[in-house]
Amino acid sequence: MRLPRLFRTTPFRLTLLFLALFAAAASAFLAYIYLATAGEATRRTDQNITREMRSLVAAYDRAGVDAVNQSLIERAASERPFLYLLMKPDGTRISGSIAESPLEDVRGAPSRASFSVTDYDAQGRLVKHPARGFQERLSGGEILFVGADVSEDQAYVVKIVRALWGAGALVIVLGLAGGLLVSRNVSRSMGALNDVVAAVRNGDFGARATVRGTRDEFDELSEGVNEMLDRLERSMAGHRHAGDAIAHDLRSPLTRLRARLETAYLDVEAGKGNAEEALGQALDDTDGVLKTFGAVLSIARLQAAGQAPDQVLFDPADLAADLAELYEPTCEDKGLEFDAELTRDLQVRGNREFLAQALANLLDNAVKYTPAGGAIMLRVRRRSSGEVEYSITDTGPGVPDEDRARVVERFVRLENSRSEPGSGLGLSLVAAVAEAHGGRLELSEGPGKVGEMGPGLRVALILPRPA
Amino acid sequence: MRILIVEDDLEAAEVMDRGLTEAGHECVRAPDGEDGLAASRAGEYDVMIVDRMMPRMDGVTMIQTIRREGDQTPVLFLSALGEINDRVEGLKAGGDDYLVKPYAFAELIARVEALSRRRETGSVQTMLRVGELEMDLIGRAVHRQGKEIDLQPREFQLLEFMMRHAGQSVTRTMLLEKVWEYHFDPQTNVIDVHISRLRSKIDKGFDKPMLQTVRGAGYRLDP
Repeated sequence: MRLPRLFRTTPFRLTLLFLALFAAAASAFLAYIYLATAGEATRRTDQNITREMRSLVAAYDRAGVDAVNQSLIERAASERPFLYLLMKPDGTRISGSIAESPLEDVRGAPSRASFSVTDYDAQGRLVKHPARGFQERLSGGEILFVGADVSEDQAYVVKIVRALWGAGALVIVLGLAGGLLVSRNVSRSMGALNDVVAAVRNGDFGARATVRGTRDEFDELSEGVNEMLDRLERSMAGHRHAGDAIAHDLRSPLTRLRARLETAYLDVEAGKGNAEEALGQALDDTDGVLKTFGAVLSIARLQAAGQAPDQVLFDPADLAADLAELYEPTCEDKGLEFDAELTRDLQVRGNREFLAQALANLLDNAVKYTPAGGAIMLRVRRRSSGEVEYSITDTGPGVPDEDRARVVERFVRLENSRSEPGSGLGLSLVAAVAEAHGGRLELSEGPGKVGEMGPGLRVALILPRPA
Repeated sequence: MRILIVEDDLEAAEVMDRGLTEAGHECVRAPDGEDGLAASRAGEYDVMIVDRMMPRMDGVTMIQTIRREGDQTPVLFLSALGEINDRVEGLKAGGDDYLVKPYAFAELIARVEALSRRRETGSVQTMLRVGELEMDLIGRAVHRQGKEIDLQPREFQLLEFMMRHAGQSVTRTMLLEKVWEYHFDPQTNVIDVHISRLRSKIDKGFDKPMLQTVRGAGYRLDP
């Protein structure tokens, strides 16, 4: 037989285990309480009996058997809760409140025992009362028995035992109920997560776990799962998009390449001399295709690795200075003012090659899109957060607000830049490099519109403070 | 030069062989690492071109083996677009240069010729001479026809590299790698601009231009 689902859940099994442990602990505790209370009642009774016995023995020693007899008669008549019996050395009764000794071996005194005495209650029914008593042989040979009715104490102990049983039952019932409640709660949360996982497994990448806002570990797990699914979905969309885009971007140069080769072939066949030029063009086209391919692969590899390899600690200004030196003549040739503002003695951890490629891509873009007469500024600084920021600001046409998130995507090229050479992968690669260093890429407006210039673009590559 | 080509892609090896033979070199081919190892032990070569991924024995193992045996022949590793740190691994294994497939043939020839030259200039030089051009490596001074030419530090390094490889084509990628020591791919003509500045300093005012542009390849310094 299969148990209902709830009883198979881990929380329920844990509940049972803890309940068993708790019940064992509670039993030990209850046993201790029982021993302490019941034992205490017996000891107190015995003490009282002993005291009574001492006082009677003292009277006997002082004034003889008649004085004890007298005293017993008086005491039995009073409201004292004791039972008395004074016997001759052979065990026959002299006086007392009971007919005969409840102790078996009358002459074997001193001894003590639990026994019961019979009595009649208010309705005249015969009842048995539990009692305890001692007997002692007095110095003259007579035997004295003193006992006490312990029915009240016993009743008290019985009450305690009953209360303990009740408490035990309550503990188990409440524990079980609480366990069921907790397991139901937990298994409901787990079930919801399982449903999400099942949905994703079946191809529904839009499925998300509910975050209830309770800030517990289920919320954390749900948030983690959702974040993971978000990333997965983005990455899959990215791959799908990249696939389409590669096909799109490679199709036109490949088509051109084929046409050129075909023309060249026909020309050569016809004995015309244009083949060399066509082949040269074909080579250039091939190089373009390979460059696009290389960039796509670099991005894919960085994203797959998650973390850029071979990271070292270095001064970010050194790298920026190298690139400034590399790009400065190009800027000057194009009639651009180039300036570098490098904060020294910072430290950053990263792969120099990838970061150099990223900065080169940003500088390439700035040079490409800034018209002559404009300016480019390369800057390294420490943010107040401790992060290191490389930024490149130009006075080109900039990127409209609504397009800034989009231009980082693969192969996205804004309409007015399609005529420029390039794969449309430059910024995507920079973003991938930033991410592989635990950093990010931020695009904002440049210095603003000045005459024909601007508003410009400011691209910041932000790297985390080295640990 | 005698060149050993160790490449399992027979068609690619054939194309390489043809191109290098046309450029005046003598080529020997081996289809995998084990044959390559045997060929390298049997003969003397000026340069070896070794593919990284091959059946029977891969290129890295082959080069590690010949290096252990004391063979210092310059090695150019070829690799398909692979892992990020392929280059570092290849150089660690004993390679002298690294080229990622697919490559332009001009790049391959330029790198192969640069490797062979590297071995010839083993001794420490203090003076470089190419035609009318003289470079004093100690005094950091350059003269052409006895006239001093004032160069920026980077221009000096650039010219030094060109002079050490005089008569050979050097590609833009090689210059970026060997002079700036970066391995990336600029989309703008940054290297061309540096070369044209250098050219204006060493060729301007002289009757014969020394720094040539090689179409489809890069640059060459002629005596």
